[in-house]
Amino acid sequence: MNHMVDARGKQCPIPVVETKKVLAQMNQEDQVTVWVDNEIAVQNLSKMAGQKNLQCESKQLADNHYEVVLAFSPAALNQKAEQAPVAAPKVAVPDKTVVVISSNTMGNGDDVLGASLMKSFLYALTEQDVLPAMILLYNGGAKLSAQQSPALEDLKLLQEQGVEILTCGACLNHYGLTEQLAVGSVTNMYSIVEHMMQATKIIRP
Amino acid sequence: MRPKQQRIVLAFSSTAAALEFESKAETAGFTGRLFPVPSSITAGCGLAWQESTEHSDALRLFLQEHDFGEVKWVEMLV
Repeated sequence: MNHMVDARGKQCPIPVVETKKVLAQMNQEDQVTVWVDNEIAVQNLSKMAGQKNLQCESKQLADNHYEVVLAFSPAALNQKAEQAPVAAPKVAVPDKTVVVISSNTMGNGDDVLGASLMKSFLYALTEQDVLPAMILLYNGGAKLSAQQSPALEDLKLLQEQGVEILTCGACLNHYGLTEQLAVGSVTNMYSIVEHMMQATKIIRP
Repeated sequence: MRPKQQRIVLAFSSTAAALEFESKAETAGFTGRLFPVPSSITAGCGLAWQESTEHSDALRLFLQEHDFGEVKWVEMLV
């Protein structure tokens, strides 16, 4: 059986994730044809094939259209497609919206207005029916999670409703606020980058 | 979603007036806050002040003592 994964338009790591899901369901004589729209995805799939000792061939079909065929054996790789490819089941990727706040003011121009706008943004965020998974605070944004912050009430409300609040530890230290963290927990740059990379949507007010 | 409470909402004619109100009200000891003006009051962008209804008398007196331009007083769930 020739399985099919059309991963064009899908962000990394979705092409690999969807292909792995199909591989788990394949018989030894099956193959999976994966369509992607960039060379990095081709490389990722080839790397994954190497790690799993799979046979792999790739070619470019057109601009922004590449085909990668994977199989468990050379014979399976070379089989002629006798029937229409079976479309792979869609992988439901959980939504992970991350709000990134790098300042205690919103916008540029006037900091008094900016501070008020940031408070308004967080207030309006608490009014949403669907909340973000996480709020990342760094540089001036770290001031928002400290004691006496005018945004504390809203951040605590968001946390109570399941939003994870993470503040950069180095930033708290820089501003002398390490002992004054009043909501959420401390994080580091590795974690910040990881969360941003895994986010399905990043909102930066 | 934020739980709703009955509040006094003051809508200002300008952002500057809202910011000035915030500064003076906090100094005077009011415990309310600035927030985005509810769309039921205006479709435009603006800032409003919400205050506990318990402070109604003090708030009216405060508004008489200071000039914040045109201020719309509404009591509503926010």
